[in-house]
Amino acid sequence: MRKSAIGMFLGLLVLFALAPGAASAQTLFFDYVGYDYEAPDLNPAQFGEVGSGYVSLGFVPGLFAPLVANTVANEYTYYISGLTSVSQMTVGSFVITSYSAGSLSVYEDSKSTGTAADYGINPPNATAPPSFIDGNLFVTGTLTNFQYVFNTLSGSGSFEADFEVTGGSEVTNGNIPANRRKGWTFAGTSANELNMPEGYAHQVDGQVFLNEPVPTQTKTWGGLKALYR
Amino acid sequence: MRSLIQLTCAVLIGVSAAGLAFAGPAIDWDPIYTWEPGATPYNSPLGGVLQGVGTVSDFDIPFADLDASDPTKEYTIYIYGLVSQGTTISGGGPFTLYTTNYTGGQIEVYEDLSPDASYDPFPPNAGVPADFIDGTLILSGQFTSFTTQTNNFTQYNTGNMEGGINWTGGTLYTRTFNANGRPCPGLFTGGITWYPPVMIPGYIFRHDGKIDLNCPTPTVNGTWGQLKGTYR
Repeated sequence: MRKSAIGMFLGLLVLFALAPGAASAQTLFFDYVGYDYEAPDLNPAQFGEVGSGYVSLGFVPGLFAPLVANTVANEYTYYISGLTSVSQMTVGSFVITSYSAGSLSVYEDSKSTGTAADYGINPPNATAPPSFIDGNLFVTGTLTNFQYVFNTLSGSGSFEADFEVTGGSEVTNGNIPANRRKGWTFAGTSANELNMPEGYAHQVDGQVFLNEPVPTQTKTWGGLKALYR
Repeated sequence: MRSLIQLTCAVLIGVSAAGLAFAGPAIDWDPIYTWEPGATPYNSPLGGVLQGVGTVSDFDIPFADLDASDPTKEYTIYIYGLVSQGTTISGGGPFTLYTTNYTGGQIEVYEDLSPDASYDPFPPNAGVPADFIDGTLILSGQFTSFTTQTNNFTQYNTGNMEGGINWTGGTLYTRTFNANGRPCPGLFTGGITWYPPVMIPGYIFRHDGKIDLNCPTPTVNGTWGQLKGTYR
């Protein structure tokens, strides 16, 4: 009896969780600014060719609740890696590239005792990514359905992906509840910055959003049954 | 002669690469929301006028002394007067991309000592753009180009918005100058989304972007003697 009641209760929670009309608000998780490049780069004359790897790294100037950051004492950097181009399609001047799953991580490094991040040139190099992935792994997560759209005529584009938090000190210290770990990211990209460090492909300006937890409602059995009468 | 040219090129590259520190964006915002009467994310009728308001979230060189997180101030952005040249379509069916070029347009950046800006729905209204254009005009410029790119297939409704800027005024105008006393062009760039959960009614795009000062990499004039001296 108890088992079936629990099962039904859980079922009701799921039912309410999936109920239409419960529009989930999204909150900004963090904001990132940096550059991207390919490694491995199978064809340097082409960006996003199948089999090439996508990497982006840079700084995280904005971190928001539930993250607890100290931007005065620490430098926060990001690193997107593990993405491999699996398909590419050209539509007019646009190139649409899809990637395998990868990761997006944020690192926390002391400004006083750590190593300042340095792009260097022609990455990967002695400082990039190493100086962007040192220190404490603050938060990390998976990127899936990563898709990059780039206009070769204008030299500008964008990417987006699903994001899910999987680890980092902000998880282990309990700052990110289990029901607030899914979200998404997007970024604008451009090859039109004249002073981009040599060897990088585009500048990147992006954000990560977290989905709000889906609300549940407390109901009596009578109230529930009344819904179906 | 060819070797001389090669050496000169090598020297210029060497000079430009050495000692260049890559700062963050001169101005970073989070976000700008835009509106355009009669437009949708997929169609901007010819002659439509795009506007937008935003809040600066970070500054770097040459504005690194400004603190965007200072609660006693707010730094805001206003873009306006961008006239649509109509939307052109690439592809079709499930992979359709939409590009809209705009002409004209201005950008202004304000420092306000009485923070009050909020993205009130359905602009223009009592607060938008009014609460974003009070205070001191610290920077103004004219767009030399402006383009939006959207599509019908990205899951989170994402694209790009980018433009060029010629700076023309504001109290901090001279900070955009290069070593020759001329203003460096600005590059206004970033991603846009029209994904409903992050939108406010009445606005068409949310833009996460920045401005870079797009100065050509400086070169240094020198004699062969000076050059050789650097390697002794």
